[in-house]
Amino acid sequence: MIELHGLTKLYDDARVVDDVSLTVDQGEFCVLIGPSGCGKSTTLKMINRLVPLTSGRILLHGEDVAALPAEQLRRRIGYAIQSIGLFPHWTVAQNIAVVPTLLKWPKARIADRVEELLALLRLDADGFRDKYPHELSGGQAQRVGVARALAADPDVMLMDEPFGALDPITREVLQAELARVHHETGKTIVFVTHDMDEALKLATRIAVMNEGRLVQYDRPIELLFSPADDFVRDFLGKADLGLKLLTRRWVHQYVAPAPWADRRASMGSLRDIVATHGHVWLVDGDGRPEGLFGARLWRAEGDPLGELSRIHPDWLATPEMTMKEALSRMVWRRVLALPVVDADGRLSGEVTMAGVMGRQPEGAAA
Amino acid sequence: MDAAGAADRRRRWVADRVLLTLWIAGAAAAPLLPFAGLARNRLVSAAPVELAAALLPWQAWTAAGLAALLLVAAVASPLPRRLAEGLVLAAAGGLLVLLLAAVGDYAGRAVSPEAPAARVALGSAFWVLLFCCTLALINAFQRLRAGLAPQVLFALAMTAAVAALFALGHFDALSIMREYANRSDAFGSELLTHLRLVGSALLPALALGLPLGLWAWRRPAVRTGLFGLLNVFQTIPSIALFALLVAPLSALGDAVPALKALGVKGIGAAPAVIALVIYALLPVVRNTYAGFAGVPPAAIEAARGMGMTPRQVLWRVELPLALPVILSGLRIVTVQAIGLTVVAALIGAGGLGTFIFQGLGQYAIDLVLLGAIPTIVLAVAADFLLQILVALSRPKGAR
Repeated sequence: MIELHGLTKLYDDARVVDDVSLTVDQGEFCVLIGPSGCGKSTTLKMINRLVPLTSGRILLHGEDVAALPAEQLRRRIGYAIQSIGLFPHWTVAQNIAVVPTLLKWPKARIADRVEELLALLRLDADGFRDKYPHELSGGQAQRVGVARALAADPDVMLMDEPFGALDPITREVLQAELARVHHETGKTIVFVTHDMDEALKLATRIAVMNEGRLVQYDRPIELLFSPADDFVRDFLGKADLGLKLLTRRWVHQYVAPAPWADRRASMGSLRDIVATHGHVWLVDGDGRPEGLFGARLWRAEGDPLGELSRIHPDWLATPEMTMKEALSRMVWRRVLALPVVDADGRLSGEVTMAGVMGRQPEGAAA
Repeated sequence: MDAAGAADRRRRWVADRVLLTLWIAGAAAAPLLPFAGLARNRLVSAAPVELAAALLPWQAWTAAGLAALLLVAAVASPLPRRLAEGLVLAAAGGLLVLLLAAVGDYAGRAVSPEAPAARVALGSAFWVLLFCCTLALINAFQRLRAGLAPQVLFALAMTAAVAALFALGHFDALSIMREYANRSDAFGSELLTHLRLVGSALLPALALGLPLGLWAWRRPAVRTGLFGLLNVFQTIPSIALFALLVAPLSALGDAVPALKALGVKGIGAAPAVIALVIYALLPVVRNTYAGFAGVPPAAIEAARGMGMTPRQVLWRVELPLALPVILSGLRIVTVQAIGLTVVAALIGAGGLGTFIFQGLGQYAIDLVLLGAIPTIVLAVAADFLLQILVALSRPKGAR
C-alpha cells in the first residue's frame, strides 16, 4: 500500500507537483495520467526518491520512505522506464539479475529467478538468456525491462511510460502481457502514461493530473461516466467516449448463445435456423467455427443462404477480448456477428452488433 | 550503353583502386629512384644504386612475380574477394620481407674485405616500396573487414620474419646498423630513457586526466574553463613549451634545494616530463569526458532507480561503458608522447632524439635514422597494442 500525503515539488518556485494526496491499495493498478508537464512522472519518481520532495509524506506499507536509505528503498521497488535503460554491456540474464545481485542473493537462486521471469514474460530462456540488448527488438527489450523490474519480487512496481516508445502493435501485446502479469502476481503497480486508452485498458484506478494537481482519482468506469470537470471530460476525448467505454467492456459480458449447425447439415435444417436467427455458424467435427451463412453487413438483403462466408481468423473473438476490439473487427471485416471461441478454438457463443447496442452488460462496473 | 553500364564495366576492370595506385607508385619508383646508396666511406657522399643492380637474379624474379600477382589482384581480378585479399596479404607481405632481405644482402656484398669502409645507405626507392607494401597490407585488412585476431597473427608473423633477418645478421652491413654497432651501449640507454620519459609522462597524465575528465562531465560549469585552458596549452609549439619551462624550473630548483636533489632543474627530465604531461592532458581529459558523456542516460537512470549506489553506478555501469573511449584517448597520447619525447632531447632530457639531433649536426643521415626508425617502430607498436586493448575493452554487447 502506498499513501501520498500533500506531496509537493517546487523547481525554482514553479509548483511542478502541488499538494497531491492519494492512496494506492495493495494489488491496485494505479495509472497516473495527464498532459506532458502535469507532474505525473515527478510524482512517480518521488515515490522511489529519484526526485527529492519539497514537502509532504510518502508511506510505503505505513512506513515513511524517507526513513530508509534511498538505495535500500529502491531495491524494494521495481522500476521500469520508457527508454528501458538495459545495460548494453550485460547479457539479458545479467540485466535481469541486477537487483538480486545488489541484494547479494546466492548465484543458484538468481539463476532460477531469471529462468522464472523469462518464462513469465514469455521469452524463451535458452534463446534469450545470453543475448545482449542490441540483439533484441524493442518489444523484447521492454519485456526484459519489465522482467528486471520484477526480479527481486518487489510488491510495488513503478513504471514510467514503459510502452511509450513501442509501435502500436507491440504496445498492445505488452499491455496484455502486463495485465496478465498483474493478474498473476497481484503486485501493486503505479504506472505513468499520457495515453487514455492504455490507462483504461490497464488501470483499476486512474489518477488524472493537470498542472501539478490531482484532478480526479477514480475507477475507470466512474471516470468515464462522471468526469469531475471539463478538463477530465476533454482529456477523455468527447468524440470517442462511447468507444472508450467499450475498452472497459469484455466479450464475455456480451456473449450470447450462438445458432450453429454441423457443416454436413442439410440445407433444409440450415434454412430453418436462418429463418429464426437470421444466420447460422457452421462448425467442424471438433466444434470449431468454419463458416457463416447470413449476417454479412453488405448482404443484409436477399437470400442469407446465398453465400457461405469462410471464417477468417480475424473474425474470432475470445472471452478476454475488449468489446472495443470485437467491434473494431466487426467493422473491419464487415460482419454483424463474431463467433466467440474458447481456449481450444471451439465455438462457445457469439457477440453481435445488435448485442453491443442492446443492453448494458451485467457486472459492468469492473 | 549508359553511364551505369560504363561504371559497372569500370568497376569490374579495376577491382581495387587503392591497390592499383600503390602499385603504380611502386612500379614508377623502382626503376626511377635509387634503391640504395653506396659510398667508399662515411665522409664522402653516396652514389645511387638502382634496384636492378642491387638485387640478385632470383630476388629480382621473385619480386617481379609478387608484383605481377599484386597487379592481378588490383585490376581485373577473376578471384573471389576474400581470396584476392588473401593473395594481396601474402604477396605484399612477401615483397616486404624480400626487399628487407635483399637490401641487407646487397650491403653484405658491397662491403667486402677489399672495401671495408664502404657504406650502404637505404635509398628512396626502398622507402617508397616499403611504404607501398605496408599501405597495401593495411588496405587489404580493411577491405577484408578482418577482426583483430588475424591482424595480430599477421603482425606477429611479419615481426618474426624481420626479427629473424636481424638475428641472421642480414642487416649488419647496412650503414645504419654500423652506426648502431658503434653506439649500441648508448642506443640501449637512450631507448630506455625514451621509454622512461614516455612512461613518467603518461602516468601523471592519467592520474590527473581521468579525475579531471570525470569532473568536467559531472560539473558542466567546469568543462568550458578546463577545456579552454588545456586547448591553450595544446596550441603552444612543443619546442617553445620546453623552453618556457626552463627558466621557472631552474629558479625553483635553486630556491628549494630539496627539489633540486630530486632532479628538478631547468634542463633535463623535469621540464620534459612536465611539458609532456601538459600535452597529454587534453586528449585524456577530453576522451574521458566524451566516454562518460556517451553512456546512455537511460542506463544511468535505470541503475539509480534500481538501487545502485553512486559508486556502483560509476564502477558497474558508467566506467565499463566509457572505457573504450578513454582507452582511445590513451592511445592518442601514447603515440603523441613517443613522438614529442624526441624533441625533449634538445633540453638535455635524452632519449632517441639525441641521435636525431646529433645526426642532423653532423649531417649523418644514418645517425638520424638510428633515432627516427626506432621512434616510428615504437609509436606503431604502441598504437597497435593499444588498439587491441581498445577492442578488448569494448563490451561484447555494445558494438
